[in-house]
Amino acid sequence: MKFSRRSLFVFTVLVAFMLIPFLAHAQRSLPPGFDDNEIRIGQWGPQTGPAAPWGSVARGSKLLFDLVNEEGGIHGRKIRYIMRDDMYNPAQTVAVVKELVERVGVLAFVGGVGSATGMAVKDYLAANKIVWVGPAAADDGFVFPVNPYLFAVYPLYKDEGSILTKYIVDKLNMKKIGMLYQNDSYGKDGLEGVKSRLATYRMKLVAEVPIEPTDKDLASQILILKNAGAEAVVMFVSPSHAAIALRTSATIGFKPQWVSSNTLSDYPLMFRITGGLWEGVITGAFGELPDSMHPLMVKYREAAKRLAPGERWGVFYYAGILFADPIVEALKRVGRNLSTEALVKALNSIQKYHTIGPLINWSERQHQGSDAIQIQKCGPNGSYILLQDWTANDLATWKK
Amino acid sequence: MDMKRDYYEDIALFKSNVVLFWTVVLLLFLFAFPFFVSNYYIYLFNVIMVHVILAVGLNILVGSTGQISLGHAGFFAIGAYGTAVLMTSLQVPFFLAILIAAFIAAFFGFLLGLPALRLDGPYLAIASLGFGMTLMHIIGGIEAFGGRMGMKAPLLDIGVKQFGLQWILQTDTEKYYLILIFTVFFVVVARNILKTRVGRSFVAIRDSDIAAEVIGVNLTIYKTMAFAVSAFYAGIAGGLYGFILGFFDPFTFNMLLSIIFLVMVVVGGLGTIQGSVMGAVLITYLQFDLLKNVADVPYFGALMIYISNLWFTTIGLENFSSIAIGLIMIGIIIFEPLGMFGAWIRMKKYWMTWPF
Amino acid sequence: MPVGQLLVEGLAIGACYGFFAIAVVIIYKTSEVINFSQGGMAMISAYVAFHILTVYQYPFWLAFIITMIFAILLGVLIEYCFLRPAKHPSILGLIVITLGAEMFLVGLASWKWGAEQQYFNLPFDQSVTYEPVPGMVMNNWALAVFVVAIILMTFLFVFFKYTKLGVAMRATQQNKHAAKIMGIRTERVFAFAWGLSSLLGAVAGMFFASRAVLDPTYMMEPYMRAFAGAVLGGLMSIPGVIIGGLLMGLIENFFGFVYPHWKPIIAFVVIILVLCIRPSGLFAKHYVKKV
Repeated sequence: MKFSRRSLFVFTVLVAFMLIPFLAHAQRSLPPGFDDNEIRIGQWGPQTGPAAPWGSVARGSKLLFDLVNEEGGIHGRKIRYIMRDDMYNPAQTVAVVKELVERVGVLAFVGGVGSATGMAVKDYLAANKIVWVGPAAADDGFVFPVNPYLFAVYPLYKDEGSILTKYIVDKLNMKKIGMLYQNDSYGKDGLEGVKSRLATYRMKLVAEVPIEPTDKDLASQILILKNAGAEAVVMFVSPSHAAIALRTSATIGFKPQWVSSNTLSDYPLMFRITGGLWEGVITGAFGELPDSMHPLMVKYREAAKRLAPGERWGVFYYAGILFADPIVEALKRVGRNLSTEALVKALNSIQKYHTIGPLINWSERQHQGSDAIQIQKCGPNGSYILLQDWTANDLATWKK
Repeated sequence: MDMKRDYYEDIALFKSNVVLFWTVVLLLFLFAFPFFVSNYYIYLFNVIMVHVILAVGLNILVGSTGQISLGHAGFFAIGAYGTAVLMTSLQVPFFLAILIAAFIAAFFGFLLGLPALRLDGPYLAIASLGFGMTLMHIIGGIEAFGGRMGMKAPLLDIGVKQFGLQWILQTDTEKYYLILIFTVFFVVVARNILKTRVGRSFVAIRDSDIAAEVIGVNLTIYKTMAFAVSAFYAGIAGGLYGFILGFFDPFTFNMLLSIIFLVMVVVGGLGTIQGSVMGAVLITYLQFDLLKNVADVPYFGALMIYISNLWFTTIGLENFSSIAIGLIMIGIIIFEPLGMFGAWIRMKKYWMTWPF
Repeated sequence: MPVGQLLVEGLAIGACYGFFAIAVVIIYKTSEVINFSQGGMAMISAYVAFHILTVYQYPFWLAFIITMIFAILLGVLIEYCFLRPAKHPSILGLIVITLGAEMFLVGLASWKWGAEQQYFNLPFDQSVTYEPVPGMVMNNWALAVFVVAIILMTFLFVFFKYTKLGVAMRATQQNKHAAKIMGIRTERVFAFAWGLSSLLGAVAGMFFASRAVLDPTYMMEPYMRAFAGAVLGGLMSIPGVIIGGLLMGLIENFFGFVYPHWKPIIAFVVIILVLCIRPSGLFAKHYVKKV
């Protein structure tokens, strides 16, 4: 056993040696997020994998920063925008965020699709004092309790579910409401909002049907809704599932009023992938209409044609612009003496700020920017019909 | 050169002084590593080491015992969830929690091993795949585990709270050393398992399970044991992985992850410990770092953008990583079925006999 | 419980699983390769059809024929480039090759067509419905699936039983070397099997795409269910595989109606249970390996 005794010795020494760094460990400082010539801003988003259609959010933000740079940057600094693919996988999100923060050095993140991905990096970003504006998901965990470096733009799904339900009951006079929801935080938050609103009317859902993200055949789920006799069905699902649900309903002759959250408000896309069945669907919306004549929308639309000709002018694409918009405004307010603290202060001072998205109000105690949505309806050929202008949820508990 | 003169030489941890020397150099390098690189690489290395533990464990099952598992992400998840839940709700100290979680994973591995007694090839592949998916789905349905919303890993406290000892590891560097110790320990254990009676039984089963049974290997015990050991490794790896991420949901442990694990083992080299280590390092690095930003690679990136504009779309260029990993998988099997380890052996032989 | 409607829907999607599973089984029958890239191959073919229809605006049946030719070439090419060069691969090696091919194809499709969902429709419209019996709404899509599945099943049954090529394929599966000695050009048989299987898969892929949406990963779930159905049926007998697929569709729909939460995994639970009792599926003889 001569060899093993020697190896035992070697290992004892090594293990003892390894314990040293536990006792003494120096903290390294991070590379700065800006210098005299540029400000570095990052974003993660799924460019590959099952959630890749939402990747256009990250590419949309690029358009805004390109435009800002074209106009000469902000107080003499250009914005360097760095986009990374995370495949909608939290492990990869942590990796890309750490890479950007620790190797490249960024001042802030904007957007960022996904609840789980965002939750995975939220604490890390806060601990390193990296500003994060406009997560492209609504999760209670982001802004309640207030996180000093995180500013949310997106309206909460709970509020949206509640507002949509009010519209169905009051304006459409429908009493039998069914719900089709994705079985995760997105769908369940929506479900909670719908139920809380129905409770005020002393009503109940006639059917609540979960969809698992991996389902591709929804026949049995749609049959549950049909069997329950739902007149209106609220959907909190992904675009693929919505398309499958509508096509399946057509095969079994089930024609309720479909109502959906803003994640499906990209009508040209939905109209195309459902083969025209999307006409008449009512959705929430958190941005201006794609064909809106709002001067900023016109400007961005023209810029997109020029700078990103391969992109489709869809809701998610310009959502990237509206998530990134407030940080540009804040950077302008800060002026030449930039620092993270100054940026946070400027963001906290943003009140009644309204561009192409919802009205944003931030303060030191409140980082949930918006509480309102619009309600729209899909017309012929995927056109938009505005049914109800910006409406806030009067039942929202977080504002009190 | 590989002649063994007696049994002790065969089971020796270091075959020669050269191997010993390089092992020590490697360990010293790993030890000193965090002092020279940025924090990002430490995080990357943490992920790599966790994958090494898992790949080594999976190799015991796939490479040495010849069974197929497309469900290892499930065991990985049991480790992560088990450790986190035990530590948060039952206040179990870390080392005990990760061990219990790994034993739970091993138990599930044993369960999967039972049908594997009668199944082989494609049937086992689909059964294990279904097993992994079922497991994830069940975890996603349990509210105590955060359901689909995911759960947060507790602080990594390696002390025992009940005795008033607290030692919380917060930075990636501190976690690095903990994971390094785990990795080195489990790699050595795996190597030693393969040199024992158990390991030889595994190899006998791989080469021919009927012949193995004839010479007295108890198939029921050893096949299920291979699954259990492999799942145990996955459980340990998962337990550590949860703390690296800090937050995870069932989707983190999807089917693709199981496939990537299998790829690590095959690309590295079946049946060898060094191979699985190499495979885990290479594939993780490719996936997390190199292939991530193809467009930023000098020259090659410009070429890819040019090709994209010509025939494809620049929007989809990120998918190049999937293409590259797919081609690596195919290429390895076609040109070097023994994986990177085989290539290494061939290179060594070539230089040893050079110039002949 | 709307039993009639669930029956229709379950059988329709089940038949779709069934004849996609046949594509898997044809390759397995000849070369004992489990083709994990079957979904990717079908997906690429459906995308080619989509591309021809939207970009070149060809009429459907012309596009269909071009796509079928493409699918055959794709199958032969994958066999020729990826599987043939591998010398004496193990079962695991083959699985890894086909998984690699799947990742390659999915990456290629997302690179070319982007990740956004696309619309694809067959001339058999789902919106055209009939109600022969009250409570059982049929549509053109489902009818087309039934007809195609029955035709394919008969054709393949006859093909494997009575034609020379079919017998050659079975011989190759049973013993590659003996088949070679008997004068069968086994390599051509493999190439043929891959081409045929890719063609069948492409047809199934179009049926799935016209029920759901077209995106680079849309065949992943149907493939797994089809594979599970094939395993249930025994991976060897063509009628067995169709029945396996039908069972899969029925179980999913009836179970999913009662417990929608557990719909995605019921298929796999059933598979594992069945395999525990009958390790080679329901309709295949269990071969005991000889030493």
